[in-house]
Amino acid sequence: MPSMAEALRLLQFGDSVFPVGAFSFSNGLEMAVQHGTVHDRSSLQEYVRTITRLAATGDGVGVLVGHRGAALGDLDQIRRADEAVHLRKINEEMRTMSVRMGRKLAEAANRVIGESLLKKRASESDNLVPVTYPVALGVLFAELGVDEQGAFAAHQYGAASMVLSAAIRLLRVDHLDAQSILFAVNERVDDDYQDIRGATLDDMQGFAPHLDILAAAHQHAHVRMFMS
Amino acid sequence: MTVSLDLVRELAPYQDQPAQLPAAANGKVGMLRLGFERRGDRTILRDLYRQSPLLVQRALYWDEEMPGLPCVMILTTSGGVLQGDRLSMDVDLGPEAQAHLVTQSATKIQEMDANYGTQQQNITLADDAYLEFLPEPVIPFRRSRFVSHTRVRLPTSATLLYAEVLQPGRKYYRDGELFAYDLFSSQLRAERPDGRGLFVEKFVISPGQFPVDRIAMMDRFHVFGNVMLLTDTDRAARVYERTATPVWDEQTPLASAVSRLPNDAGLVFKVLGQETEPVRAAVRAFCTAAREEVVGCTFPPAFSWR
Repeated sequence: MPSMAEALRLLQFGDSVFPVGAFSFSNGLEMAVQHGTVHDRSSLQEYVRTITRLAATGDGVGVLVGHRGAALGDLDQIRRADEAVHLRKINEEMRTMSVRMGRKLAEAANRVIGESLLKKRASESDNLVPVTYPVALGVLFAELGVDEQGAFAAHQYGAASMVLSAAIRLLRVDHLDAQSILFAVNERVDDDYQDIRGATLDDMQGFAPHLDILAAAHQHAHVRMFMS
Repeated sequence: MTVSLDLVRELAPYQDQPAQLPAAANGKVGMLRLGFERRGDRTILRDLYRQSPLLVQRALYWDEEMPGLPCVMILTTSGGVLQGDRLSMDVDLGPEAQAHLVTQSATKIQEMDANYGTQQQNITLADDAYLEFLPEPVIPFRRSRFVSHTRVRLPTSATLLYAEVLQPGRKYYRDGELFAYDLFSSQLRAERPDGRGLFVEKFVISPGQFPVDRIAMMDRFHVFGNVMLLTDTDRAARVYERTATPVWDEQTPLASAVSRLPNDAGLVFKVLGQETEPVRAAVRAFCTAAREEVVGCTFPPAFSWR
């Protein structure tokens, strides 16, 4: 059992309102709603579940490698994980989201917890590899003494809650619908973790051409509430 | 640099041996080595090595818009990818060389009951080289397992236009075959000649483990076209200008959009449709814009029999 302080750290830094700017992204949902692809509770749940599956097999591996690198104090491994995540952000909006939230998380961590590997990583001179959100999250939780399952779970929760909080503003679903979907989707987290815990950076993958097209089209939308 | 793909994670469940020829036996290791070199106004196929089931005969010069462009058709002597096949292909273009690669017909990844097929491609471009690699669609049959790794190395001045069309299976065979394959895994890694990574795209599709006919993956679509244009930022910007307007056509139906790749590597164009033809037409339109902006020539009309 984690100590109560550890549990609170997980709640604090995994909170959907932790100031990393998650509220300004919809992870493709805005465009999916505009085209009528997502239009009700069941299509929303399907969308959210796809997003969390993609989050697990792609960025989720980055969370674990970042966490393990931090546990070893290995800054090179952390940088390699950031590079691997960044190279796989084929889509411009998704890339922006990952880098922006990564930078914000590193800044917030500096203010809240002070010295950390995340601070070291973010302040590397001639930094050619940007800090990415999933790796930063893994590093931060390792520094806070939260185990990798906890870090992975927080990442999965963040992916789902980002879409769902956007959904409340974009669709006719209420807060309780959103919470029911979140509860149902969260039940998959153990399976997803088991599937990827043995994966390496080379195994990171994601197949979502429909989402890629929605995200690329979103850049050209005239009226947008969200940045993705 | 060829590393065996047998150890990739997604192939772990399929390590059994076929009842026929064992995996990677004689006759199942297809190899191609193609080396292109610029000679005056044209490019020649200077180096050719082949081992069946892959086959290349000779370069032809059929492109009336680019008469100096060697067009090479890649054939397979076994009618597709069979279980236990291990295919590899190395393509090299020297400085200012240009080439156009196609396949003779759709790549049919045949039904499998043991093992899997793999394919490795290495594409190396020198300064100012220009390669079009536009194979016919890939059709993964029921229970097929296939892993493909492609590595591209190119300097900023070179251009690669690489297009793939993935079908869901034999859609009109018997009752229809949609996403009935076991595994389709594809990775493309692009890097600069010094090894610096530009981007990696990897997808592992195993519909039995996680369905793909769902929102955000294939949605209601069946055919997926994926085009990479790796070129310098000026040329990429001109192509982007012409192609950036996203398409969302409920009638056909067809959806497509362009995005800029990481590290100023170029552009990626993705298109989804229910039938192959509209997807191919969209891919072709993007490729035409790319060729016009990069080399200043257009594409001749498509062969009416293809």
